[in-house]
Amino acid sequence: MHSIQSFPCSYRLDTLPLNVGETMSDDGRYATQIAVVKEECKDADETEIIKEFKRYEEEFLIPPEDALRSVIRKFQIAAGQEVSTISSRSRPAIAEKKVTKFSELKDDDKNVTIEVAVVSYIPKIQTVRGEERQIAYGWVEDSPWEGERERWDFTDWGDHSQNLTPGSVVRLEGVSVNFWNDRRSININRPSRVTVLKEGGQPVTKISDEPVPISEAGEAEGIVSVVARVLSKKDDQIVKKDGSGTLDIVRGRLADPSGTIGFISWRDFNHEVGSLIKIDRAQIRRFRDTPEINIGDLTKIEPFHDSSFASMDDLQSVNRSTISELRDGARDIEITVQVENWQARTFTNADGEEKTVRSGDVMDPTGRCRLTSWGEMNPEPGAFLHLKGARVQFWQGSPDLVIDSVEQVIDLSDPPWDTIDPSDHWVDVNLTELVNGGSRRGIRTSGTVVSIANNSGIIERCPECRRVMRDGVCAEPRCANLGPLRGEEDVRLRFVLDDGISNASTLIGKEATEALIGMDQSQIKDAIDANTRGGFIATLRERFLARKIHINGRAIVDNQGAILLVESAELDTRTPEEAANEVMSHWGVVL
Amino acid sequence: MNQATRRSRQTAIRLFAQEYMDADLPEEGAGEYDPSFVITKLGAKVNRALVGGVIDRVERRETESGSFYTAHLRDPTGTHRFEVASFQPELHADIEEILNRFESGDRFLMLLVGRARWFETEDGGMFTSFRAEEFSIVDKDLYTHWLVEASEATLRRLDAFEASMESDLTPAALESAGVPSDLIDGMVLARGHYGEFDTENYRVGILQSLSMATGSDVIIEAPSPQPTLEQATEPTEEVAQAPAPTGDVSEVLLETIRMKDDGGGVDYDTLVHAAVMAGHSREDAEDAIDNLRDIEGSIIEPRFSFFRLTPE
Repeated sequence: MHSIQSFPCSYRLDTLPLNVGETMSDDGRYATQIAVVKEECKDADETEIIKEFKRYEEEFLIPPEDALRSVIRKFQIAAGQEVSTISSRSRPAIAEKKVTKFSELKDDDKNVTIEVAVVSYIPKIQTVRGEERQIAYGWVEDSPWEGERERWDFTDWGDHSQNLTPGSVVRLEGVSVNFWNDRRSININRPSRVTVLKEGGQPVTKISDEPVPISEAGEAEGIVSVVARVLSKKDDQIVKKDGSGTLDIVRGRLADPSGTIGFISWRDFNHEVGSLIKIDRAQIRRFRDTPEINIGDLTKIEPFHDSSFASMDDLQSVNRSTISELRDGARDIEITVQVENWQARTFTNADGEEKTVRSGDVMDPTGRCRLTSWGEMNPEPGAFLHLKGARVQFWQGSPDLVIDSVEQVIDLSDPPWDTIDPSDHWVDVNLTELVNGGSRRGIRTSGTVVSIANNSGIIERCPECRRVMRDGVCAEPRCANLGPLRGEEDVRLRFVLDDGISNASTLIGKEATEALIGMDQSQIKDAIDANTRGGFIATLRERFLARKIHINGRAIVDNQGAILLVESAELDTRTPEEAANEVMSHWGVVL
Repeated sequence: MNQATRRSRQTAIRLFAQEYMDADLPEEGAGEYDPSFVITKLGAKVNRALVGGVIDRVERRETESGSFYTAHLRDPTGTHRFEVASFQPELHADIEEILNRFESGDRFLMLLVGRARWFETEDGGMFTSFRAEEFSIVDKDLYTHWLVEASEATLRRLDAFEASMESDLTPAALESAGVPSDLIDGMVLARGHYGEFDTENYRVGILQSLSMATGSDVIIEAPSPQPTLEQATEPTEEVAQAPAPTGDVSEVLLETIRMKDDGGGVDYDTLVHAAVMAGHSREDAEDAIDNLRDIEGSIIEPRFSFFRLTPE
């Protein structure tokens, strides 16, 4: 029977089919098990046996009944009694056998590939050990495409019902011949593959024209419909790549209470800012990491009437971003930031003009990024700026805000939040949220170390480009052309952090590594020299594998996953008891 | 998972041995580089896992391509099997050290990161194990941390499983029922494949682990018969060379249980040993036990690793 419990689940011992015993100080409670062990290992010392059962129970958490087998084996080995070491006869891999007709098959053929027509498929529920399993039997015929067919029985052990519809033609791979009572049949096993070559019934497809919230449309692929207010629009032109002229387009932004999204219309767009419209069958495309609604020839737009739909004022506030939400390629961003520092840099561009670009580090309560301005402005550290129409560009894996003119900036006199101290501004983000979001600076997260790369420790960097060299060679072609280079030694750890739901590659630089492992560069080098690199990695593994660590740094997220660049790292200091109490209070477990 | 993240590293699932041993649903990746998974009854999609336990067996086998190791780790709920393959020479020094310590009589706790492997019998039985990636000997403190992590992960899956009981088995319905997004895929597959079972069994390991971690002096035991003298393993002998097989391996196993079971069941090693003595390979014996239990239903495993004939 299933016990269905509401969230959060909570249960007490007295509802469980358990025996709750009391801890007995008397070792007599192992008597039964001791007798069994002595039966097997006549010379075993009773105190030793008790010690062993105690150890299994207290240290390894295995109760005496379950520890019996292990303890006996231990004493057998100790007594020099041979425990069956069984010589292995390795199972040869069975070669694939491809046939076109059943008549080519032998009684014991395995891993067979054949194309067949499915004649019938009869599912059957078989109860095994109190569990229901679905199997199925039926008929299949060989030579499905032409010629005379032979019909065999089959049994489907692997629930391939989706792909074995009567009337279909399928390719079976990894099936075997079953010979029983002078009859051959086909076993379609669990690992067997069934590929549909010709559909049996008509596949049912459904295209929905139901409008979706903008937050969902942004996650979607392909065709969507939305109901939204026009937040902004402006005419634009695209220069065709083939030089054949320009194309007039309209760009803008749409909003509903769930969020906002940019749009591009490839045809006339005559809806005023503020109007509410229903857009049917628009296409979602991505510019870098940013989804956009594309309005094309197939799209239908009509005014929509809903007096309770969110007003422009309400939607404007939805449109305000935070640093944590910035994605490469985003445009038309409205955001407030606090300035940490500011510099101006002058350079000469390709046309020989002298230009000045200003930039600085900025923060908000969700993180940090850089702000670049092509207009002349010189904010003081600690100033609050409200930006409109900003765009996002990626620089070294982080989203940077860019503004093209000072008219986009309002210097706020009223601080929107208590001034952030830049020297200690780390935003806690759990690993899963981090991995599923965009690249971010100034974050603090944690995870368990599940991998320690073998090239952790001392590495050599190319003196020209700072890349990590392999076997004294830089992979960068322009450096390789310089002839042999002497690498500069640096310290680095490469871990994988994993919280059981998500994971991220983790690069820990020199200072953070030295602080974490309590060794400086020369000590690390000595340890590797004394103990080989493998030995050094083994000590790292002993100290860090399966341990939880907290890191401060930044995250670069792309479609390969996430990389954490660590500025400082420390081991989790909770005791198992504290961790267990957290779990119990979160899940409502009562012991 | 959307297409863009498919090639990224698979997360290490925390789970107890019982949940992994009970699993018999594999999902093979469609393409050459697509990951494969073992899907558990609670909907975990296991490609990589972080597991632990006390070392319970280590064996080296020599094959044509080099040494190959198999080992068992026992956690509070059962046994995790893992192997170090001949083509993983970078792990051989470490596993040799563990083998030596084990053979000298030392027993110790280990944590292991491994990739899911499975082995299937002709008629749909399945055997799950891990191929080691990284492992280390750990102290009780770190092991207990793992027990807590595995407990939490199992609680999370139990909660998702229960939410799924009141929901249609479509991704959208499961999501609105509160099943976390990383479990939706596995839950659809698990619920479509496995029959009814009692989730309470999975709570025993959780409660044992949490009471261990909190130092609670309550001892939690799954109901099990008291061991009897007759249940003891048969004395074992070295098998130098396997003789030619005599009889059907299933018959050997059934006969062994018939002869030796005095109420407490016959243990796994005894059965495998009897089959090997009759000239069958270890793999065949292990497959046949699973087959008799899971497919033919002619034997039952009333508690872990002890087998009885199914009552008529």
